[in-house]
Amino acid sequence: MKSSTGPGSSRFLLGGLIVGVPLLLALLGPLFAGEPGPRAASFTAGGGHWLGTDFVGRDVWRLVLLGGRSVVLVALAATVLAYAVALPLGLASALTRRGWLEELLMRPLDVLLAVPSLLMILLVAAVLTPGAVGLALLVALVNIPDAARIVRAAAAEAAARPAVEALRMQGESWWRTAVGYVGRSATRTLAADAGLRFTGVLYLVATAAFLGVGVEPDAADWAVMVDRNRTGLFVQPWAVVVPALLIVALTMGGNLLVDSALEHRKKRQR
Amino acid sequence: MSGLRRLLARRLLLGAAQTAAVVLLVFALTEALPGDAAVALAGDRPDPARIAAIRASMGLDRPAVERLADWAAGLAHGGLGTSLASGRPVSTYISDGFGPTLLLAALTLALLVPLGVGLGVLAARHAGRWADRLVSSVTLGLYAVPEFACGVLLSTVFAIRLGWLPPTAVGYGADLAAHPAVLVLPVLVLLARPVCTLARLVRAGMIDALASPYVAQARRYGIGGARIRYAHALPAAVTPAAQQLARTVDWLLSGVIVVEALFVIPGLGTVLINAVAERDLPVVQGLAVVFGVLTVVLNTGADLVARRLAPRAEVAA
Repeated sequence: MKSSTGPGSSRFLLGGLIVGVPLLLALLGPLFAGEPGPRAASFTAGGGHWLGTDFVGRDVWRLVLLGGRSVVLVALAATVLAYAVALPLGLASALTRRGWLEELLMRPLDVLLAVPSLLMILLVAAVLTPGAVGLALLVALVNIPDAARIVRAAAAEAAARPAVEALRMQGESWWRTAVGYVGRSATRTLAADAGLRFTGVLYLVATAAFLGVGVEPDAADWAVMVDRNRTGLFVQPWAVVVPALLIVALTMGGNLLVDSALEHRKKRQR
Repeated sequence: MSGLRRLLARRLLLGAAQTAAVVLLVFALTEALPGDAAVALAGDRPDPARIAAIRASMGLDRPAVERLADWAAGLAHGGLGTSLASGRPVSTYISDGFGPTLLLAALTLALLVPLGVGLGVLAARHAGRWADRLVSSVTLGLYAVPEFACGVLLSTVFAIRLGWLPPTAVGYGADLAAHPAVLVLPVLVLLARPVCTLARLVRAGMIDALASPYVAQARRYGIGGARIRYAHALPAAVTPAAQQLARTVDWLLSGVIVVEALFVIPGLGTVLINAVAERDLPVVQGLAVVFGVLTVVLNTGADLVARRLAPRAEVAA
């Protein structure tokens, strides 16, 4: 099986390269940021500031180093949280032999699917002022219906196999059947979905931060930087362009990477 | 035929349940959460007496069920309440913002379907060759990118560096149709994600359809290539795409909110964001109901269209 060449692996490399820069900056940047220097005038270029200054005169390069962590960590936390709820929900409704229980677990989610995610986040933001943790919870919440449906579909397919029937007849415990066999068989589908979901969650987290939800108005966050420094776009575009490019690279590269990983898997299965 | 009618009824019932759920959810989220409107309105120095006064004047001290009944009854008669910030009826906010948003959405939808389907069919016709690879890579890369990031980059290049287009809609008033140049960048940004999903779904469906036995049979009959593609394969290929429209509608909606904020367009999205910032709950509730019900209606419509295009799908489902 030759799988080291072809469009799939070149896309893998491309995706890895594109996503590598913002990811490294996000995770390691804070280590190199150092102490904040004295504030300069707003929206100046040069003067010892490699990328100029922002709307309140802070060094843009330092903020770029600091600003990726919140986006990536909130997105990671939200993805994990969404699965923490969706996995037991989906597994339980796929494995139960009581029709009413399945309906009870899944029908409300069908209904919830109809509510646009950003609308839900803005609604909550109108009443509460969610911090980073609140934003992660919210984004996780709006992802649960879809994730639970996918878990259920993947698990239902595995649960219909004769192996499960055999396990049941042997009198294996529910835990071993559900987690040991069905959960394990569904892992690959779920890993694929988790990758895709992570890029979707990144989109939502960044967009919410751009709209001012879950962040301080002067937070060191790439999305907040894009929003707040827009007024200086004519005089000092770097304060907007650099964080915007990093967000584009993060989401675009992540998506290319996940997709080529899926292609690769499909090829191996054949 | 009765099966089809039952299916139709079931889908409409789900739509009605979703509408009811949206109304309930909007109410529950904005009214039943611990930090209620009165606390929010009292501002930085929450004085218990002031909070109690606001609560009484807003009727927040009545039981939640009673308020929900009142509010829902108002909705049923088209009354959305009055703004806390300005005292104007919420419906005037909606009618003010409706024009620009409708224009944006209509333009985007009008371009979305031909562009998405066209790119998808193009890629499927050349499956595996460079045209397909280009379309596939670009649509794949672009579709997870947040609108605000690509929008701000586009406006830096085309509005600020090159000066071809205005960077925002500031100074053009609400009558945007008279200034098409203002709309180019917003519509472009708004199109990016939905076009990508649609093109990818149509490509995948089209490749399957072109490889199917009935297309092979049509070829044996000597039916022309274009007619096979558009009259035979495309309807089957569009079905999964139409069923996935739910997500596209969701994206369009969040796209509209972001694009209006980014390009300072005085539409419904801007009204919503301002109301959220001012904690003007009646306006937020009214807009949320409008947006939510719109999504449900569009989703239900897309599902029904999908069934109409390929009645066979219902046998499999």
